[in-house]
Amino acid sequence: MNLLVLGLSHKTAPVEVRERMAVPEEGLAEALSSLVAQPGIAEAMILSTCNRVEFAVRAEPETDAGAVIRSLFPLDPAERHLYQHAQRDAIRHLFRVASSLDSMVVGESQILGQVKDACAAARAAGTLGGPLDEILNRALSVAKRVRTETGIGQMAVSVSYVAVELARKIFGSLDGHTVLILGSGKMSELAARHLRRSGAPAVFVANRTWERAVEMAARFEGRPVPFEQLFEFLAHVDIVISSTGAPGFLITRERVQSLMAARKNRPMFLIDIAVPRDIDPGVNKIDNVFLYDIDDLEQVADANRRQREREAERAEAIVEAEVDRAMARLKAQDVTPTIASLQAELERVRRAEIERLRGRLGDLTPEQEQAIETLTRGIVNKIAHTPITQLKTLASHPDGLHFIDVIRRVFNLKENP
Amino acid sequence: MVCMGETSVFWLRVTLTLYSLGLGHALLTVIRRRQRLFPVALASFAIAAVFHLVSIVEEGMTLGRFPVVNLHQSSSLIGLLITVLFLIVYWRYKYESLAVFVFPIVFVLTLIASLGHPVQPWASPALRSSWLFLHVVLALLGYAALFLTCVAAVMYLIQERELKSKKPRAFYYRLPPLGTLDEMSYRTMAAGFALITLGLITGSFWAFIEWGTRWVVDPKIILAFVTWGIYLAMIFTRWTIGWRGRKAAYFAIAGSCCAALTWMVDRGVHSFVP
Repeated sequence: MNLLVLGLSHKTAPVEVRERMAVPEEGLAEALSSLVAQPGIAEAMILSTCNRVEFAVRAEPETDAGAVIRSLFPLDPAERHLYQHAQRDAIRHLFRVASSLDSMVVGESQILGQVKDACAAARAAGTLGGPLDEILNRALSVAKRVRTETGIGQMAVSVSYVAVELARKIFGSLDGHTVLILGSGKMSELAARHLRRSGAPAVFVANRTWERAVEMAARFEGRPVPFEQLFEFLAHVDIVISSTGAPGFLITRERVQSLMAARKNRPMFLIDIAVPRDIDPGVNKIDNVFLYDIDDLEQVADANRRQREREAERAEAIVEAEVDRAMARLKAQDVTPTIASLQAELERVRRAEIERLRGRLGDLTPEQEQAIETLTRGIVNKIAHTPITQLKTLASHPDGLHFIDVIRRVFNLKENP
Repeated sequence: MVCMGETSVFWLRVTLTLYSLGLGHALLTVIRRRQRLFPVALASFAIAAVFHLVSIVEEGMTLGRFPVVNLHQSSSLIGLLITVLFLIVYWRYKYESLAVFVFPIVFVLTLIASLGHPVQPWASPALRSSWLFLHVVLALLGYAALFLTCVAAVMYLIQERELKSKKPRAFYYRLPPLGTLDEMSYRTMAAGFALITLGLITGSFWAFIEWGTRWVVDPKIILAFVTWGIYLAMIFTRWTIGWRGRKAAYFAIAGSCCAALTWMVDRGVHSFVP
């Protein structure tokens, strides 16, 4: 087994280099086919996204896969940005990439889809189907395991998603909880979009200028409402995103206090992203009312980022354990054919030697024939004994794969008997 | 102990049966959160009020004076007064939600009143023991539900503090959303309330048949009625003004403590059980 991952990512190369090295989707099948057309390359997969370009190949033991890839693709200008992982490190790298541990935003879910697509493309081009295919499939299930067993992808790290996450933490499901946007602004629009997509049934837009409310509402299937009726609406909507240019507090503590009676104490989530602020901070002291300003949202995003890092540590442990399991499986697959071909090779040598010398020995009694047979077999078995036991025990050793390779080279065994 | 005419007892039992429809309506309302049975319950309640009045008047005539000499008679009178008051308030303001509070209260008061009269002893020992078994099972299921209410209330308080503080710590990530916890505490409370109401009724009947009127001063019974009152008040405030949140959670925990105390007094059995 000779695995190799060669590539560059957002960690090693700036975007100008990445975009030059990218393999366009329409050229993918051809690139894959040309790779496996090279002597010694058995399987290949190419992952090309805006954050990384990676070649994963399985080659014959003697093949320098890195050189083959470099000969086919113009990687020279990016040489100092390239990383190269072999064997165990290659497997770990593939697992980490699929699990989004190597992503720019650790835990983002897009990469899993991209890996899936890359595998599908390689399978369609007929360049997968052996051990590499198995490892890539394993990488996808490791990614799923990481996702379900750790909270790595759960915490929002951008402010507008934090707003959605908090709404979920307050209301449970967003189903049946309407949103009101006060004023305008890129961020409130973004947050409203996320809330809408997460299940909020309706978004209302209020603006001092009626035309602007209409215009903004049109952009995301919202409903403009007259600014004068603001407080009537506040009695009914559950989530408010405020970003007006008002100089003072638009929503005071007394106002919200009286609203809560009309709301029958249904909880309310107020997001104030205006500077200067629109909502009196004292509002947060009212029972069942939760007020977050822009700094509070940032603070939650920070805490989430730290939480993600903690979860990432647990994810790394899972990946490490999975790499061990994958290696063990690969070695077990490798050891048996190696032993078989080693025995076959020694038997071939023994027979050839008897064949060659048989004529010189003249007539022999069956007992003598038997003695030669026993003698030669004994020698061969004695010689083979140590390598075979070593193969069996070293299979579980971290350097086992390397050792199997050495045995294959020493005895000049073919890749697959 | 003949303190009432035979017919007044009969009318009181008719009244109690009609009031039980009101109780059923109240329990279904808090559990299912729909009020479809309300017209039926209201009608039976109004008719019951007439029988109730007849029963009290007859008893007064038999006694030859105003019938408020003992606990049973006074709770009967208070029950009737609350019923009349409710019917007037409803007629004026159509304040339906009040029924959730009034129906159970009136039923329990009338139940206490009707337990002032001697009844036949158990028809068979099997009925007696299965009745007791029913009481115990209902009460324990009720306590279990109220225990869940308490757990949900504690988690609510922690999660609420996390959200108000705006500095998410471990609990913020681990605990369910506030809305879910609130829903859970309301549902378990409604179910627990229905169960302990039924447990209270079956228990009262049993104690009455077994022990006459001695049971009324049993500390466990008094605590049980207090607990029941606390939960009734919580469910009523939740139902009408949507009282929820931090303070409601504190009350739910207090109610659970009261329920636990009720359960623990005399190590689970009543003082009059030998």
